[in-house]
Amino acid sequence: MDRMSYCNDLIARMEELFFHELSDCAGWKTEFIGIDFIQSKQIAGDNRDEIIRNCLKAITAAGLAEEGSFAVAGEDILLRLKVKGCIHMGKEARLKDRGINIYNCIIANMINDQLIEKLNYETAYVASIDAEEEQDLCEIKIAIYETMEKIGCVSDWSEECRRIDENNEWQTIRADE
Amino acid sequence: MGDILEVISGRKSIRRYKPDPVPDEMIDKILESARWAPTGENYQPWRFIVVRDQETRNKIGDLAKVGSGSRMTAWYCLGHMQERFEAIEDPEKRAKVLRFMYSGEVSEFAKTAPVVIAVLGSLELGSVDVPYDLSAAVENMLLEAHSLGLGGCWVHGPVASSRDAVKFKKILNIPTEMSAYKVIAYIAIGWALEKRKHPRPKIPLEELVYWEEFGKTTRPKLPLDELVYYEEFGKKEKE
Repeated sequence: MDRMSYCNDLIARMEELFFHELSDCAGWKTEFIGIDFIQSKQIAGDNRDEIIRNCLKAITAAGLAEEGSFAVAGEDILLRLKVKGCIHMGKEARLKDRGINIYNCIIANMINDQLIEKLNYETAYVASIDAEEEQDLCEIKIAIYETMEKIGCVSDWSEECRRIDENNEWQTIRADE
Repeated sequence: MGDILEVISGRKSIRRYKPDPVPDEMIDKILESARWAPTGENYQPWRFIVVRDQETRNKIGDLAKVGSGSRMTAWYCLGHMQERFEAIEDPEKRAKVLRFMYSGEVSEFAKTAPVVIAVLGSLELGSVDVPYDLSAAVENMLLEAHSLGLGGCWVHGPVASSRDAVKFKKILNIPTEMSAYKVIAYIAIGWALEKRKHPRPKIPLEELVYWEEFGKTTRPKLPLDELVYYEEFGKKEKE
């Protein structure tokens, strides 16, 4: 067993216990997990896309993931994120095996933290996480709210996702770039 | 001793309040009821902050609105909220209810409740059972408020996420270290402005209760030899 597998085993156990204590509320409590790393990277950026890009650059440069892609749609609230080759895929796979809906994406926590800390976003909420171990790919849907007035601005995210894919609105950052 | 079931089953969550103040004696009784809640090893880790200041309640109301609204907006966009309310047949009414939910307005009522009581527990005093002790205290307060003719509501939304919990603590000057205090909820108290449909549908006991082990829905019958006497009370043996 390599060191990363060992760490993922530990985190998976922690998240399993945490889910047992808090059920679907567990994900609301884990949003600080990962912020120490990203806060140490002095992420800069004047706008949303710059912040997200620079977060993904820092994440891929450190080897936490091979590739990160993002697109924003749905009244600027839907942040769709794809992470390939994440070092935490092992813990997500273990949780899925144990019948637990994945609830804590450390990469998403980092990006949300920087939107809030650097651009003063009102709040952000990780709405869904889908991990596919075979493809080594996670897709995360996050609701990001620049201001309080953005709360309640709704759209059909399945339609928004279809449009993102159709128009290829993805911005991609790779570790080797 | 009187049966408290009538008070328990008559209680309902109230989210709309008259502006009339709640007398201090009533607030004291509500707090006193909390003090008598069960608590592991009698640690009594609970602390309460009574908030009547309008500006502070506005901040709490906004935080609750953002907390609930940010989650429900996302759930609506994913189509989950619509499923939850599909029982409402009138499309206009359903849309209105949904908007009330995903806008976060559903949780904003700390602004209009004359009294808000934040419920927090010391993690240094009673680190074994804090959330459970505090929950018992909250229920006592809600029942006492109801028995006094007041309305109340248990609100977890603004402290549900870790980041919001820190904001909530800052509003009330509660130490923000994770090791110090845990805020589990606040309760809103006041004179009810609304008459809610009551009772709300409850799952029948038969679907909630198992006997002797998980999944066993039939109440076990006592064996005959424990029920039947012969010739006179207490005589178990046939002659």
